[in-house]
Amino acid sequence: MARVVVGKVSEIPPGKRKIIVPFRGKAGIGVFNVDGKFYAIRNICPHKRGPLCTGELTGRFAADAPPSTQDATLSVDSLGKILRCPWHQWTFDIATGRCLVDATLRVATYPVKVDGDDIVVEYDG
Amino acid sequence: MSQIGARPVTAPGWTANPKDGIAIVDCDVHHNFRHPTQLLPYLSKFYQEHLLDQGLHLGRYPNIPIRSNRVDLRGRVEEALESTPKNSGGDPRDFNFTLEFLQEEHLDVWNIDIAVLTGPPVFYGYSGVPDPDWGAALCRAFNDWTIEHWLERDERVVNAILVSPSDPPQAVEEINRLAHRKDTVAVMVPMGTSRPFGNRFYHPIWEACEAHGLPVISHIGGGGGATRNVPTPVGHPTYYIESRMSRPYVASTHATSLICEGVFEKFPNFKFALIEAQQMWAVPVMWHLDTDWKAIRDQTPWLKRLPSEYFREHIRIGSQPMHEPEKPEQMYQMLEMLHADETLIFCSDFPHFDWNDPVTVFPKLPEDLHRRIFAQNALDILRLDLEGVN
Repeated sequence: MARVVVGKVSEIPPGKRKIIVPFRGKAGIGVFNVDGKFYAIRNICPHKRGPLCTGELTGRFAADAPPSTQDATLSVDSLGKILRCPWHQWTFDIATGRCLVDATLRVATYPVKVDGDDIVVEYDG
Repeated sequence: MSQIGARPVTAPGWTANPKDGIAIVDCDVHHNFRHPTQLLPYLSKFYQEHLLDQGLHLGRYPNIPIRSNRVDLRGRVEEALESTPKNSGGDPRDFNFTLEFLQEEHLDVWNIDIAVLTGPPVFYGYSGVPDPDWGAALCRAFNDWTIEHWLERDERVVNAILVSPSDPPQAVEEINRLAHRKDTVAVMVPMGTSRPFGNRFYHPIWEACEAHGLPVISHIGGGGGATRNVPTPVGHPTYYIESRMSRPYVASTHATSLICEGVFEKFPNFKFALIEAQQMWAVPVMWHLDTDWKAIRDQTPWLKRLPSEYFREHIRIGSQPMHEPEKPEQMYQMLEMLHADETLIFCSDFPHFDWNDPVTVFPKLPEDLHRRIFAQNALDILRLDLEGVN
């Protein structure tokens, strides 16, 4: 298991991100602070190779039925935990890398640990 | 023209390069003003007062998300939002406001050799304003602003001049006014209209285009299409995503009309490109029109050839937004059915969210087909005289 210190905790406050380029390749990774917890995800979209980590953070939009149905509930949750690619707007769960609009796609994610003031990203290899 | 053809792409994270030595002609690059008052110096005193008094209220689909632009350019978006006062008529969604932005974020990154400016879709409603003189004044002002701020500063940037199809005499006047310019390479009319483009009402415009060797580039939107007029024959869809799916009906209606009304018999050197309305609609137009024409050609005996032959010779299809078929090999089948080597022209639609970059939009293509889609098909119709391109 390799460990790379990618920055200090104070550099990435909640809701912010840092893009580290290169990191195991030219595209790099994005390190995100979501409510105090850090996530690292590869900075390339599997759809058309857009710079994924420069996209907006959004949420899961859901409905239990079409709005024409009586008592249908429309909701948004997980705000700040879903990453939307800036090019064609495909969405990804920042924690798992899973694509919300295509179940066959997943972006690589990496474990992130906090060691004192350091943010440490780990990977096999 | 310095170096022709693709140099290595400098976009972040990219390793693949476009094909060496093949130019990229991008037939759909949207540019915009930051605020309508930028048009004031290009309007007559009368219409300056008009703009100041009434503002710019152009019809368009009301529920297009703010991220209709690429948000990796987001610093620029926020800047645009801040500098665009609310209710000012300015629309930050089409935020390609300066030549420098276009150069830095698109032309230099992807090594675009020729970029055809098509104006902002949020402005295309000029073709649907009730007062045709106001529509024509807006076109003149926008064209003159484009000349000063874009065309005269970068030879890669050329223009599809905006004219309003809702008033043919003034459209003809505008074509005659600007046709002498080398950077006028096409005429842009929004696809949203009150009657299909083959109708004789428009023929004076097509006649002027042919006389000057200018093709039409018609982009979705404007007076109808997905905005003011009902974009489908069965009424208004509810959501923006639905209105996007109505675009092929608009394009195929125009293409069919141009062919059946004999526009290409009347104007045999005239070319007409329909862009940002998908692509595969063209296949049933070609196939089924041929079938039906064989049966009921007595109604349109001025057509001397199969309708599909007129299509392949005269009509061009923008490559964006490109279909993403279920199986990769279906892309090749689509391109074959479309006669893409004759009909398809590359369009990026920069800077919108549904844009296509020139590298991933197609799988690896045979070199001749690649050359035709990315450059030659456009060069064959645009009024361009470039030495050294392909």
